[in-house]
Amino acid sequence: MINFSRRFFLRIFFFSSVWFTLTGVDITSWVVGVPAVLIASGLSLMLAPPSQYQVSLAGVFRFIPFFLRQSLHGGIDVMRRALSSRQLLDPGLVSYTTFLSEGSARILFANTISLLPGTLSAELHGNSVTIHTLDRGLPIWANIQGLEYHIAALMRISPGKRNSS
Amino acid sequence: MSWMHTTFALILLPAIVVGMFRILRGPTAADRMVTAQLFGTCGVAILLLLGTGMGNPVLLDIALVFALLAALTTMTFIRRTWHGSGKKKHGHPIP
Amino acid sequence: MVPEKKNMDILYHSGTVLILLGLSFFLSGTVGLIRFPDIYTRLHALTKADNVGLGFVVSGLALQSGSWAVTAKLLLIWLLVLIASSASCHLIARSAMQKNIQPWTR
Repeated sequence: MINFSRRFFLRIFFFSSVWFTLTGVDITSWVVGVPAVLIASGLSLMLAPPSQYQVSLAGVFRFIPFFLRQSLHGGIDVMRRALSSRQLLDPGLVSYTTFLSEGSARILFANTISLLPGTLSAELHGNSVTIHTLDRGLPIWANIQGLEYHIAALMRISPGKRNSS
Repeated sequence: MSWMHTTFALILLPAIVVGMFRILRGPTAADRMVTAQLFGTCGVAILLLLGTGMGNPVLLDIALVFALLAALTTMTFIRRTWHGSGKKKHGHPIP
Repeated sequence: MVPEKKNMDILYHSGTVLILLGLSFFLSGTVGLIRFPDIYTRLHALTKADNVGLGFVVSGLALQSGSWAVTAKLLLIWLLVLIASSASCHLIARSAMQKNIQPWTR
């Protein structure tokens, strides 16, 4: 557990870079920017208190290409089905139990499932995710396990630990 | 003024207009709400293309606000309208 | 600076190609919204096709802008839309499930 002030400074750094991206090099914009950054950091700490997980930078760099590749596949897959003259859909519901722990890891998991090829997270109940799929013939399990593995690496969660809630 | 980007923005317009058909047909309120999501993403793309086409960087900021508002619209719809009095069946946090 | 000019041209034209690719994703997302049989499949069509489409448009515009500041801002907008639309998509699907709207099956 990293101490509180370091968390706070990390968030100030994060929101400052967002502000810098939005406004550019205009110095006067910081008249509004400094209070905005401070308020945003404070609010974010209140609404999303620091979790026990540390984000791994190497995990982030492995996650981004994986995510881009998968969502490109997802887009192409949907395009193919939308434009084909034949009906290519074979939808169904499947349920998946994840080892990812409650909180940001699980929310990121549920949200990114919707961008993988042919899957959409329809419901999140504790550690079980109900997934709607466009085609029951797709390799859904492999894709979702891949995603789960990447998020676990991102949040430094060991896959062995099953967190039941 | 770049005519190419303005033309690209015009190409996206039918994507929204055809999507309106889904608002007419429904059948559920959620189907209509999906079109609102289409407005969000397509609208952002049109604003970005117009911003480049007209050489007006302010449109980038408008696109940003547009993206935020589109998300808020859907969330408000789900929380306030579609679920009636806002009664919740499950107590888990909304991602 | 002739070689640099040529480089800029290549960047600009590949940007145009990327934008055109993005437009085709947007249009097929709308086709899916019209053609697909139920709310869940329509959500698939819209969320995935439009996010990939916007990704292509954003990277095309970023290549053409040739400025890091604009690129960063465009990426920020894309990230925001990505988060917003995947969250909206999950919310709509979840509410539809809670309302007992049955998925269409073959």
